[in-house]
Amino acid sequence: MDITFQTIMPIPLASIQHQKDSIWGNDFVLTQGKKILLNASSGKGKSTFTNLILGLRKDYDGKLLYNKQDTSQFTSDEWTSIRQKDIAVVFQDLQLFPSLTVKENLQLKSNLTGTFNDNELLEMLKTLEIEDKWNQPCGLLSMGQQQRVAIIRALSQPFKWLILDEPFSHLDEENTQRSLKLINERCDQLQAGFVLTSLGDSHQFNYDQELKL
Amino acid sequence: MLNKLLFRNQERKQLNIAIVGSLLGITFLITSIHYLIKVNEFGKGADVLGPNTIIVQKKVSNLNTLNIAKTDFSIVEIEAIQKEKFVLDVKPVVSNNFNVSFETADPLVPRFRSDVFIQTVDPSFLDVKSDKWHWKEEDEYVPIILPRDFLVMLNTFMSASGIPQVSDDLAKQIKFRFTLSNDSGKEWVDARIIGFTNEVASILVPETFMTFGNQKYGDETEAKITQIMISSKENGFGLVEEMVKTKHLESKSSQMIVGRLKSMVGTLILVVLGISILAVFLSGLVLIQYAQLLMSRNAYEVRTLLRIGYPAKQLIRSFFVYFLKIFGWITLLGFGMFFVFKLFLDSMFEDGGLYIDKGITMISILALVLAYTVFAIASFVNAKKGVYKQF
Repeated sequence: MDITFQTIMPIPLASIQHQKDSIWGNDFVLTQGKKILLNASSGKGKSTFTNLILGLRKDYDGKLLYNKQDTSQFTSDEWTSIRQKDIAVVFQDLQLFPSLTVKENLQLKSNLTGTFNDNELLEMLKTLEIEDKWNQPCGLLSMGQQQRVAIIRALSQPFKWLILDEPFSHLDEENTQRSLKLINERCDQLQAGFVLTSLGDSHQFNYDQELKL
Repeated sequence: MLNKLLFRNQERKQLNIAIVGSLLGITFLITSIHYLIKVNEFGKGADVLGPNTIIVQKKVSNLNTLNIAKTDFSIVEIEAIQKEKFVLDVKPVVSNNFNVSFETADPLVPRFRSDVFIQTVDPSFLDVKSDKWHWKEEDEYVPIILPRDFLVMLNTFMSASGIPQVSDDLAKQIKFRFTLSNDSGKEWVDARIIGFTNEVASILVPETFMTFGNQKYGDETEAKITQIMISSKENGFGLVEEMVKTKHLESKSSQMIVGRLKSMVGTLILVVLGISILAVFLSGLVLIQYAQLLMSRNAYEVRTLLRIGYPAKQLIRSFFVYFLKIFGWITLLGFGMFFVFKLFLDSMFEDGGLYIDKGITMISILALVLAYTVFAIASFVNAKKGVYKQF
């Protein structure tokens, strides 16, 4: 699924002076399978980009196309289908359910599409070294641990694009690399692409494309 | 798991208050509808005269005896009564203008004969099927409605003759015969009882039979209308009673008492019904408001679930089914409480000598189904609105 931006300008960002090569106000295409870094300083619209792609914000000028289809015409059912099968997200504020355990948070997502069983989920937790948190409520985990749970939750569905909104902000380098490796493997497995938004750090990954805001 | 997440943030106290309010409302609703119907049905079947109907005549005073005042009704007087807004219908009661006697004509029953007075009333006042209430000359028998006092008298006679007394049903099987006569001739016509009345003192016959008798054996003087039948609109019996007093008319007191009681009790129950509907509406509103509160408390959960791909319809269904279950339990419990109330109230009525039919009225059940349906629709609309607000 190719995502096309046609001179998109979020209304709250219209008053800000953007660079010539900024994605805001220009035409560009996110080609499926590409691994993209979206670098920008705070307040330039990284989260706006995530929300816009997921259909959570409609306050923009220009056109957003998925496989040449205008998303402004999508129904709520179509957006639900996209969120289930086409686009996975790690939100900047994670959006986990603090009262539910790690297991329940992951099952809630995975069971929706029947993607992983408990063993497979546990295996991913093990890869990110938090398998011992399986039965702990998410609200009791550190931010770094919660970030890893949120990453695994995002991977627990079929997708063509994975949008990661500053997913490693609370992780040390070692855990960042582990997480990035897991994300890359899952994307390769699904022949999917990802967009990783960052405050400037590329996390030593070899991206196919770098975008600016 | 979805339910665990969505229904964890609950204000139990508020929910319990809403449940108790709805439960009481539903219980009173079904109870009042049930007894409103039962009160209106009270006395039906025991008498062939339709409900809320009385027969009135003018009060006889010394002036009538001296022939100064009239005891018959003019067409103008009847029309004036008909125009009253609480009056459903007014029709004259036509009497015989010829000699008629009534006797048993059945080999199984001893002969009993008496000169009688027959009358006819408009069929719309009678609680009998129209196909039974007609007569023409070639018919085998004329259908009649017998005063219950007449049956008591017949049974007294049977008892004195050493013959078993007859029930209402058995009396309907006995053959009777009218003898119509005047100075120049005589004729016999078979008759069969099709119903009984407590309210009319004469034997009631179809209008065609009366016309036949009056034309063939009548004394050619114009029949005077000395009695009229008045039927009131629902719960308007008190006003008819007031009019009867004002116009110096009179009726059998039993008719007045039953009508007055039905009118009073019916009005009281209507008030209770109104309060019950209000209670159901308000408690339903509190439940809906509670559902809104629950959804706003879980706004984060709903929003996040939608963002991670949960279909809005699935979340709407979760909220909808949850409140359907709650109201379903309320409805069932309300019905159970009504049943207990009913047992208690029925036995109270019985102790007071009022035998009300104990069956459960279909309309009460329909009222429950209606209340449940209205709540279900309101719940669904509310859940849909609440979920899509977070989309």
